[in-house]
Amino acid sequence: MFSSKRFALAAVGLAAVISACGGGNTPSQTAQQPAAAPAAGAAAAKGPMKIAVIAKSSTNPVFLSARTGAEAAAKEITQKTGVPVEIVWMTPPGEDGQVQAQRIAQAVNEGASAVLISCSDAGKVTGAINDAVARGVPVMTFDSDAPDSKRFAFYGVDDIKTGKAVMDELAKQMGEKGSIAILAGNQNAPNLRKRVEGVKDAAKNYPNMKIVDTFYHIETPQDAAAEVVRAQNAYPQIQGWAMIGGWPLFTPTLLTDLDASKVKIVSVDALPPELAYVDKGLAPVLLAQPVYQWGYVSVHTIFDKVHDGKTVPEIMPMELVRVSKENLGSWARQLKDWGFTDVNPEYLKRP
Amino acid sequence: MFRKLLASQQAGLVAIILLLGAVLTAFAGSHVDRLTGLPVNNFLNSHTLIQVGTDASFFAIMAVGATIVIISGGIDLSVGSIYALAGVAMAMVLRSAAPGSGLATFVVGLAVAVGVGLVCGALNGLMVVGLRVHPFIITLGTMWILRGIAFVSSSAESILVPRALTDVAKASLGLPSSLYPVPILTMVAVTAVGAVYLTRTVMGRHVFAIGGNAEASRFSGLRLTRIQTGVFVISGLTAGVAAFLGASFYGSASCVDATGYELYVIASAVVGGASLSGGKGSAVNAALGALLIVLIRQSIRTLHFDQNYEWIIIGCATIVAVVLDQASARLAARRLAAAAGKA
Repeated sequence: MFSSKRFALAAVGLAAVISACGGGNTPSQTAQQPAAAPAAGAAAAKGPMKIAVIAKSSTNPVFLSARTGAEAAAKEITQKTGVPVEIVWMTPPGEDGQVQAQRIAQAVNEGASAVLISCSDAGKVTGAINDAVARGVPVMTFDSDAPDSKRFAFYGVDDIKTGKAVMDELAKQMGEKGSIAILAGNQNAPNLRKRVEGVKDAAKNYPNMKIVDTFYHIETPQDAAAEVVRAQNAYPQIQGWAMIGGWPLFTPTLLTDLDASKVKIVSVDALPPELAYVDKGLAPVLLAQPVYQWGYVSVHTIFDKVHDGKTVPEIMPMELVRVSKENLGSWARQLKDWGFTDVNPEYLKRP
Repeated sequence: MFRKLLASQQAGLVAIILLLGAVLTAFAGSHVDRLTGLPVNNFLNSHTLIQVGTDASFFAIMAVGATIVIISGGIDLSVGSIYALAGVAMAMVLRSAAPGSGLATFVVGLAVAVGVGLVCGALNGLMVVGLRVHPFIITLGTMWILRGIAFVSSSAESILVPRALTDVAKASLGLPSSLYPVPILTMVAVTAVGAVYLTRTVMGRHVFAIGGNAEASRFSGLRLTRIQTGVFVISGLTAGVAAFLGASFYGSASCVDATGYELYVIASAVVGGASLSGGKGSAVNAALGALLIVLIRQSIRTLHFDQNYEWIIIGCATIVAVVLDQASARLAARRLAAAAGKA
């Protein structure tokens, strides 16, 4: 058994490990605090704003882009209005609704002015959102909503419409005939389930097209790409993929594993690594969610609502951007402007 | 007595927790409470302290059961999956049965979650004993099987649990609103029962005996198969209790709940001083280990360190704890040998 002395040594060791990992990703909180408490409630809302951003997973590049957008909006507001706006990134490393609920509570406990969240599991976070609102902290959702909670607004695509758009584009690319498969990500995410529903609904309009199956997988590029290859081998008749998220296109694997003359892909999302699929013609169309706007628009909305007391719409629909060879260059430049550093320079030169 | 208490492992863990708490209090900064307008320390406030305790409670409850398995010389990798299956089964039964009163909902929910936990634990134990396969392999298999059953049966849907259960799990018990002490109280109760079981009952002593030396225990007349099965039943039971509490507190259950929690649970037991070779461990220390791990996670955020280091820090903490434990054991053995030599 350990003695107290050894535990004290262990404590020092742990402290050293923790210190070694320093270099906080947000400014020192102490420096941000007002010197004195002016007054409750409204006064707190008029002072510096600290917005806790809780996306689904910090390993998913779309959320890193949302973070960039949120930070850009915060900087812009601070410069324009003189009100310091700070973004506190509290996204868990992996998708876990329970951890998100814990982080909402933590954000409130640490004095966040508002919380911005993309819900991994609406059922798990609804209670925490309602608790935050009850304690005077407004909550806004983006990307994936918690519609039964007391959040004041949601910003994101209409998932049913997104699924339909994917199917309609795929039908167009395939001449409205052939066998297709749906790549569906995590079966547990309500927004993805709706997109699948949208694909299936739209498929009813194309009698010569058949959905072979819907494939679910862990939402990492490698797992998703492996699932596509497995499914393609098991069902060689698949001629088209309706991907309701672009997970496998973050790896170049399918560029060599699938034959562009035999298989067509239409996918949601169009981030830099995915553009090669457009260029090679394997994914003639990508339907991009302007993920940077998740953060950018949401932070502006929160500021309007919480600081300025403006009325904002409860549902703020995000429009998809159709990316094809025709606008590959302009989309690549847009991504670069949004802070993506991995855009292929060759695409930047295109129209 | 007092010196013995101070030198105990619990005292060491408590000292670390208090030290870390003091560091967090000193460096956490403060904010202005939106409702009262008063300055509040970002760590040392009732909401954060209860939140840390609540976050730890689900791990700690499972860690008590897992520690008993570890003391017996086994390991249970399936606790996270049992948690998911028990939660999903409870939510599905309550959704279809829809018991009328709050009490009936509570009783049915608890019975289903705990019942599923017990059955899963019993299956683990019976397979370990009956198939004579190492618990690592059996529980590795059931970890996937049970999560797969939860996945198929729920169609991967997140199922809401009745409001009555959330009202119980989030009862303020006289504290100001938004303070929910029920998970912490449950953790304390489960830990106390675990501690009494291990230290004050014959069955608990038998668990230490077979973990320390299975062959000697067999020759002493202990019924190994029964004890081995029993420890897995207890582990399943605690996972069922944690699932009931977790699903009730967060308001829903899904097949991906508690993914990866088995590693936190085992880490809690190990940080609490349990030896993976068996014969050593404590329920109280396991709960303190869980609290320490959650506190380390909390500190990363409270002190605004880069969160991407969370897994690295917890991994380092676990290794440091085990290495110190082994060094401590070697030193103790040398001292004993030296004392014997002098005699």
